[in-house]
Amino acid sequence: MSDQRLFVAALFDPEAPCPAGLTAWNGSDPARRFAVYRNNVVVSLIDALADTFPVTLELVGEEFFRAMAGVFMRAAPPGSVLLAEYGAGFPAFIERFEPARSVPYLADVARLELLRVRAFHAADADPISPARIARALADPERLPALRATCHPSLGVLRSDYAVVSLWAAHQGHGDLAQVDPFVPESALIVRVGLDVQVLALPPGGDTLVASLADGLPLGQAAALALAAREDFDLTAHLALLLRMGALTALVQPTEA
Amino acid sequence: MSKSLTSTALSATALALALGTALTLSAAPASAADDKEKCYGVAMKGKNDCAAGPGTTCAGTSKTDHQGNAWKYVPKGSCEKTASPTSPTGFGQLAAFKEKKA
Amino acid sequence: MTMQTPFELSARGVPVRRTYSDGLPNRAGLGLKPQHFAEILATEPDLGFFEIHAENYLVAGGPFHHYLHRIRDRYPLSIHGVGLSIGAEGPLDPTHLDRLATLLDRYQPQSFSEHLAWSTHGGAFFNDLLPLPYNRVTLDRVCDHIDRTQEHLRRRMLLENPATYIEFAASTLDEAAFIAEIVQRTGCGLLLDVNNAYVSGVNHRRDPQAYIAALPLSEVGEIHLAGFAEDRDAAGAPLLIDTHGAAIAAAVWELYAFALERLGPTPTLIERDNDIPPLSVLLAEARCAERWIGYAQRDRLEISA
Repeated sequence: MSDQRLFVAALFDPEAPCPAGLTAWNGSDPARRFAVYRNNVVVSLIDALADTFPVTLELVGEEFFRAMAGVFMRAAPPGSVLLAEYGAGFPAFIERFEPARSVPYLADVARLELLRVRAFHAADADPISPARIARALADPERLPALRATCHPSLGVLRSDYAVVSLWAAHQGHGDLAQVDPFVPESALIVRVGLDVQVLALPPGGDTLVASLADGLPLGQAAALALAAREDFDLTAHLALLLRMGALTALVQPTEA
Repeated sequence: MSKSLTSTALSATALALALGTALTLSAAPASAADDKEKCYGVAMKGKNDCAAGPGTTCAGTSKTDHQGNAWKYVPKGSCEKTASPTSPTGFGQLAAFKEKKA
Repeated sequence: MTMQTPFELSARGVPVRRTYSDGLPNRAGLGLKPQHFAEILATEPDLGFFEIHAENYLVAGGPFHHYLHRIRDRYPLSIHGVGLSIGAEGPLDPTHLDRLATLLDRYQPQSFSEHLAWSTHGGAFFNDLLPLPYNRVTLDRVCDHIDRTQEHLRRRMLLENPATYIEFAASTLDEAAFIAEIVQRTGCGLLLDVNNAYVSGVNHRRDPQAYIAALPLSEVGEIHLAGFAEDRDAAGAPLLIDTHGAAIAAAVWELYAFALERLGPTPTLIERDNDIPPLSVLLAEARCAERWIGYAQRDRLEISA
């Protein structure tokens, strides 16, 4: 009934014949001409994934990546016209993808890359002002109950693998051969100005930032971080977050 | 600072002290160490456009490229350079797997 | 539409007279590419306008909006949609129309355009401009979609003629007649893509000049120029691919001159989306287009004198 449904089915299945009713002025086989569309769709969507996941691609090589992305793309073509959003399901797909099992950290590296793209396009927000912090400090008894609003670009990734070191080694920082991928690492991803930054968070630090991002009160987030790691340096982590502009507001529970 | 905060029962005073000190520290210019950790502008491009792909009529349509039942690729990228304590060779163990038929 | 003042400062601060055709100045413009953001702001090249693909800027914030905002302050802007899927069998996506309306409100472009093509079906997006047959059924559907778009965005849009690689047995109208009737029924304008006219002309062995002459040229608000790649069909006949990945071909420049003779000076975009060269290379192509626009202007003056 739907011509476009048949057209789409043939775009995604290379075994399918060219849709009926296509013609060429010279009577040549329209399949060859239809292949231009098939190529454009398939290649451009795989290219979009390659743009979003460049380190994932480097880790497994172009040939493996493009073939893997092709399997994903056929199972899950974009559900949005905005290609910047495409690939949200790719890390979970990689995790279940048998041929990639020899690279167990691949899915988490892809998660880190996805968080970077999200951070890049996330909404703008001004960092919390020193005056607002000073006001909060003037009333220390109420401080533990305050909730921090994180910058819209902020993401935390807790991994069983050395995601930050693996990723950084592909940016020319550190020797990949010296990275032990099986050391757990947590990543903080946040846009500072126009640059997306990736930082390794030590144990405790990841707990603090993830708790703040989940909307827990300051006191509870700090206590959880200290419980995770007894020599956790709360001051240094708060200073880091403030310096990066990663916190945008302090909110009283009643204001929330 | 951190020494005074080893208790998991965090007092309001300790939190205020940490936040106050953090405020002072964060006003200082970023140190060289921070610059090193900073990671690189994102060379992100706009992914939506209205051009045809640079490939030809053949690219992307080869039957072997994307059919799961004929999966023939193994990872051959920089993962081969990563250390793998679980591997007898000390490096990433690469092996082809047959894809399960969906 | 915002009011246009007859005098504006050029990018270099020189007052210039501008005649507007659907809002854009009768000059050459370039597609805005992120790799050129910083250089454009640093050097402020003398250029008629920039064009963006709407979908790349339907994001919440970050560098794309940071730079576009600053560039919009200095140059006229054309917003060119690539994902509205006007030729789709299904209804237009109201969410997408809302997002477009917000973007247009934010940047107040001098022009908004979309394609005679489809790129979505059943909730999936294919990132390609797919072809449709030209007959009464598709004509009604396309006209309905354009009516809804213009109502929703509360402005006139320009419709771009496509580059296609196949034709449909189900077509009963030729492409120029199909487009002419759309323009007549919806009141939309035309974005004449000269490269597409050439590419489709070669691919379907029709005369690109006759094709252009058959279009409602008085409604053209903008021209697109781009480069193509060459392939072959199953019979070995040339099959041109609209890649936007090369310099504009000599034959397309000639066809552009033919179009300008009939149109008079018209805003003209140099499109490059693949293998993007340094800004200076694109600016040279823009200057070349402006020479042709200048000739068209002079011809007009001679005729009216």
